[in-house]
Amino acid sequence: MKKMKLLVLTLAVAMGPGLAGAHDIEAWNSPVPEQPDHVLIRNATVWTADEAGILENTDILIRRGEIRRIGEDLRAPRGSVEIDAEGRHVTPGLIDAHSHAAMLGGVNEMSLISTAMVEARDIVDADSINIYRQMAGGLTTMHLMHGSANAIGGQNVIAKLRWGADPADMIIDDAPGTIKFALGENPKQSNWQPDTLRYPQTRHGVAQVIDEKFQMARDYAEQHEAHTGRAARNRVPPRRDLEMEALVAILEGDIEVHSHGYRADEFLALMRTAEAHDFRIKAFHHVLEGYKVADEIAEHGAGASTFSDWWGFKYEARDAIPYNAALMHDRGVQVSINSDNPELARRMNLEVAKAVRYGNMDEHEALKMVTANAADQLGIGHRTGRLREGLDADLVIWSDHPLSVYSRPDQTWIDGRAYFDRERDLQQREAWEAERQELIALVRESENGEDDDEEQADDDEVPDEDEPGMQVFRQIMGGA
Amino acid sequence: MSRIAIALLLASGLAGPLKAETVAYVGATVHPVSGDAIEDGILLVRDGRIEDIGADVEIPDDARTEDLSGLHLYPGLIHAGTVLGLTEISSVPGTQDTTEMGQVNAAIRAEVAVNHDSMLFAPNVAGGLLTAHVVPQGGLIRGTSAAISLSGWNWEEMTLAAPVGMHVAFPRSAAENEDDDDLSLIDEVLDQARSWSRAMTAWRDGNASRPRNNDQYAALEPVLEGEVPVFLHTQGERDMNAALDWANRQGFERIVLVGGPDLQHLADRLALEDIPAILNSVYTMPPRAWEPYDEAYVAASNLAEAGVRFAITDGGSAFNAGNARHITFQAGMAAAFGLDSETALKTVTLWPAEIIGMGEELGSLETGKRATFFAATGDALEVTTQIQRAWIDGEEYDLSRDRQRQLYERYRERPRR
Repeated sequence: MKKMKLLVLTLAVAMGPGLAGAHDIEAWNSPVPEQPDHVLIRNATVWTADEAGILENTDILIRRGEIRRIGEDLRAPRGSVEIDAEGRHVTPGLIDAHSHAAMLGGVNEMSLISTAMVEARDIVDADSINIYRQMAGGLTTMHLMHGSANAIGGQNVIAKLRWGADPADMIIDDAPGTIKFALGENPKQSNWQPDTLRYPQTRHGVAQVIDEKFQMARDYAEQHEAHTGRAARNRVPPRRDLEMEALVAILEGDIEVHSHGYRADEFLALMRTAEAHDFRIKAFHHVLEGYKVADEIAEHGAGASTFSDWWGFKYEARDAIPYNAALMHDRGVQVSINSDNPELARRMNLEVAKAVRYGNMDEHEALKMVTANAADQLGIGHRTGRLREGLDADLVIWSDHPLSVYSRPDQTWIDGRAYFDRERDLQQREAWEAERQELIALVRESENGEDDDEEQADDDEVPDEDEPGMQVFRQIMGGA
Repeated sequence: MSRIAIALLLASGLAGPLKAETVAYVGATVHPVSGDAIEDGILLVRDGRIEDIGADVEIPDDARTEDLSGLHLYPGLIHAGTVLGLTEISSVPGTQDTTEMGQVNAAIRAEVAVNHDSMLFAPNVAGGLLTAHVVPQGGLIRGTSAAISLSGWNWEEMTLAAPVGMHVAFPRSAAENEDDDDLSLIDEVLDQARSWSRAMTAWRDGNASRPRNNDQYAALEPVLEGEVPVFLHTQGERDMNAALDWANRQGFERIVLVGGPDLQHLADRLALEDIPAILNSVYTMPPRAWEPYDEAYVAASNLAEAGVRFAITDGGSAFNAGNARHITFQAGMAAAFGLDSETALKTVTLWPAEIIGMGEELGSLETGKRATFFAATGDALEVTTQIQRAWIDGEEYDLSRDRQRQLYERYRERPRR
């Protein structure tokens, strides 16, 4: 594919000073971008990730953050922000179904085998530079998940990458609750030395403990049901238990289970446990041997969110194959591709392209794995993940074919706001550098301060492979 | 026998056997890398080496013809720094031979621990990676690396050249502290090696008794003589500059600088001093919080613009070894951010070949070079391109050895429930 030159059209100029205004490399002093009344993107190749497929020479009209119309030769309402996207491609904003990218440490509460009561929403880090960097790679939504140290982990949160917003305002508020489960080597603690051993240490132990927890949850729900009305009047109420409440919410369908796992046997075991307690697993994550039991996963109704090609880094990833996504898709499993890594999350378009390389997957179907399918698995398909009238205007304007290695996001829009604009980013670099130099000079002047050249970029526990312990666990063992 | 002769003997003696046959590969778009692509080109291979290449090559009568119409032929990818062969499953210690204990391991030779039946080889060959520079890790003086072919019946057959280089990790703290303990240790070992080498020379000349054997010093002798280059592994920009200053003080004439995106800040110096580099990963975060999001993506382009010869790798960790084949995508990302695509292809073929001393043998499709190449459905840097066949020294690699494909085919045939 021919490498395309970036169109000289500077979108920042086209959009007027309001949108090109101050936007910083730090979230705390970056105002949320303006939401124009109308935005019209013209003449793009539109990948809808929907039944409409890929549309050539198509316009998208956005009204106050919502996709209003998709069609040919749309009329621009007065005062519209107009973008000429001729020669370029537009896709839905990319969705990472498995991320730990903007969390204030403590991804893993690994003390107990079940920590269903802890919540990721308490540690969303809106200032993480990863948000901006991932957005620059076309990502608009991420599923911030608890770690995989326990069979029943904590509750997750789904956030849009609204750079500059408060944590609470990043969270998609009408998304269903989700919880992290984990199977295999991580919960059974095979690959690192914990301070204290914890039951279980085997896969059948993991299966057993999950089953027992749900039996306890059903007993708990029964006790509370029994303690109502007349029966409750003269009796001590049953003790409230936040862990049990989360598990009861799973049984009642209010919290959906997203389970980390690698091997075929453990997916079967968890599905059978869930079926025995009359609920369903929403999605298996990583699911590297999903292809071995794809029919069973499809029958159960679970989705699968996998890595494109990671393999061999731990024993349970020995049979991981890059054909996994395509094989599961062929068997009727709804498949998404996830990153589990803030750096990888910057090029999810290329991760799905690997399913074309390795499984002959259709390109549009491949793109769905990081848009529509991910949205459906997270229960936010009614809001985002497709380019369809009535959905949120979360989209990416690419310089070229979105699955091409030579392609680059030119703009990333969330809720009809231009959160990332490559032209604007390039223009502002000089100002950022000047400000940085100014600040360094001030610091040096005031206290003859230390040169801070070696400051680490990442506040999200970027794993250092030289360092033992949980960081190595997260990186090397693959998938927290 | 002189040390140089020994080194040459090693290089030729370990080279794998070449297939005795003449084959004309016709119909493909041939990408020599060293020159323009040839549509409907002919690649003539005799006894495992390229005999001729072009649009109008005369095909001899004794040649077998292979029709590759619709495909694109590329020289095999070369990974400039990996632990492939030294690792199997990174979380299982018994399968790890990447990292020796201690700080000084000059006498370590990577090639002798290469497991020729590693399950990681075939999937990498299936991805077009046909040659690898295997580098030992750990400590300050890490030992010597080897260039290996990804096919062979044992490590001797796989080894194309060894030692390729001595690997030295420039201590992280030494840039700010000239009395740094780690750097002092390296200096001390090098000084001792020099003294030992003088003593050996005196013995060889019959002027002294033989000094006690020392494997570490013996391994450093060809490095000090300039016969084996030093690969300097560094972190940030200051370390890189300090490492080069140090190498100059040490008098090393042949250096390869290995590091991350900060290499671009030394681009002019590297070009001026004619020092090749290995860029450890394009797929990495900017090293510092304030740097632009594409800091690592543009590093390659900035190096190329300054005229630096460099290879792109994935950093070469055990975690990455199974997908060492995917360095093309990293080169592609560099191309999306300013590197022209032909140069991007060079960073994973011809330039790594030159940097590991195999420039006469591999890295491009040219007369006289090894017939080590692959056939793909399109642009080798594109993720969606499929690699269909691969040849190493003229012998077609049986891709059904790829366990990933075996599993794919087996489960594709699973009867539906």
